Amino acid sequence: MHGLFRWSSKWWPGTIPLAVLWALAAWNSTLPLEADLAARSNAALRDTVLDKARMAVAGRDVTFAADAFSEDGRRSAVASVEAVPGVRLVDDQTRLVPEAKPFAWSAERDVARVTLGGSSPLPAIKNRLLEAARAGLGGTEVVDLMNLSRGAPPRFDNAALLLLDQIAKLKDGKVTLSDTKVSLSGMARDLGGREAIAAALKNLPEGFSVAANEVKAPPYVFQAYKDPVAVTVTLTGYVPDNNVHAAIATAAGRKFLREKVVDNLKASVGAPAGFANAVVPALGALARLSTGTLVVSDREVKLSGDALYEAAAVQIRAGLGKDFPQGWHFKPEVSVRPAAAPVDATVCQQLLADLLAKTKIRFESGRATIDPDSVALLDRLVETAMRCPTVNIEIAGHTDADGEVAFNQDLSEKRAQAVTDYLVKAGLSASRFTPVGYGSTQPLAGNDTEEGKAQNRRIDFVVRKGE
Amino acid sequence: MTYLATFHWGWLLASLLLGLAMGWIAVVHRGKGVSRTTARWLAALAAALVAASLTHVVPGRFGYWLDLGLIMFALYLAGCAVGSWLRDRAISRHRA
Repeated sequence: MHGLFRWSSKWWPGTIPLAVLWALAAWNSTLPLEADLAARSNAALRDTVLDKARMAVAGRDVTFAADAFSEDGRRSAVASVEAVPGVRLVDDQTRLVPEAKPFAWSAERDVARVTLGGSSPLPAIKNRLLEAARAGLGGTEVVDLMNLSRGAPPRFDNAALLLLDQIAKLKDGKVTLSDTKVSLSGMARDLGGREAIAAALKNLPEGFSVAANEVKAPPYVFQAYKDPVAVTVTLTGYVPDNNVHAAIATAAGRKFLREKVVDNLKASVGAPAGFANAVVPALGALARLSTGTLVVSDREVKLSGDALYEAAAVQIRAGLGKDFPQGWHFKPEVSVRPAAAPVDATVCQQLLADLLAKTKIRFESGRATIDPDSVALLDRLVETAMRCPTVNIEIAGHTDADGEVAFNQDLSEKRAQAVTDYLVKAGLSASRFTPVGYGSTQPLAGNDTEEGKAQNRRIDFVVRKGE
Repeated sequence: MTYLATFHWGWLLASLLLGLAMGWIAVVHRGKGVSRTTARWLAALAAALVAASLTHVVPGRFGYWLDLGLIMFALYLAGCAVGSWLRDRAISRHRA
């Protein structure tokens, strides 16, 4: 033992290479050691639910920061890092995820995207909500602004998933969940969407309730476009039911003389009251325009386009709104088409005859009141008469052979006079027109068939040359 | 400790071998040894460092380097002791 003390006094020279060895060891091993400890610590936390976990290793000391979702979870996370072999000290910077009060979650939809915001209880639930949003909204971009918080009400995830389904039915708007209170606002995507959302909200999980549902239905839109080039009238939008659909289609067929009616209407609930009573007269006004668009949006009727002449424009602007049911508004944007080039008497007669060959001026049965459906034809006749201002025209009324001769004679005269009155009211000089009644004396066809009689009931425009 | 031993066995083995060699030489070395007073001071210093290591007062990387240095030094001393003892036995046998 004494020898050991003696020898040990001479051991010191070896400490110099030992120090070099030590320096080399420290130089070479520090970074690999730290990396190894970090990897082992992270592996130890793999099964622990944490948010924002961060690990910094200096030498053998670990600085561990994380947000835990419960006090037990926080303690067990710190303990499992402390238990990693090789770790000397753990600097515990963990804390609990903040508690949200009230626990608010929202989903907002605008034109381009859906934004999920507010609080979500656990990362797994947050991911489920995001996936559900992406799956349920097709190609719409989903933006995640959710943070994680404690304090969610029970069955939060079920309620949020149900509300995400409702976001899909909105065109734009916002759904908010504040603790157990649900608020909705915005505009439904389709007619009936609002009702579908209200029905779905009845299935909210137990404990949740609707505080406010301010989802609006989209406007009930009906549109008609008169295209003079394609010679068509295109009807689009909604009608309340098949009966109204049929009524509108029939009215369009009667009011538009030459145009083909393209019917793209769909039946849907949610029509404002008096829909058909407003749309049918509005279609009549559209028929009087050379080109135009009719837009009915809820209770607002907007008619834009070109009338054939000034008086017609004035009549449409002033007259149409009066026919509407109460609560309806009319917004006319009617201008006047530039007058067409003048023509001579022969062409004038030709044009008038062409118009009357295709369709006829109709009257109420047995009376001299002009059927409103014939106004569009009369407007065209007026426009043509304006193109030959120097020509005098005989307005010839004819009837079929039914009934007494005197009555027919009288009726034909009155009908010719009614047409003349219309022309004069349109701004033409009364002196140019001679109303004449011929009764049933000049039939075009036999009075033994209904078809023949219909042909015989007519008003002819006859240009008087040289007068 | 176990973790350090398995992670650094190469360096520790080198310290041990260095100690063995130094111990082997020290027995027949004729140079001056460390005086008794210096040896006491050195022992006190070593004890202080060990205490610092055990109480974990040196933080982070310096703490790790201290641990590493102490373990290497301990193995060096162990190597020295074994080396000197072996050399002494070899010489005694030779004399006999």
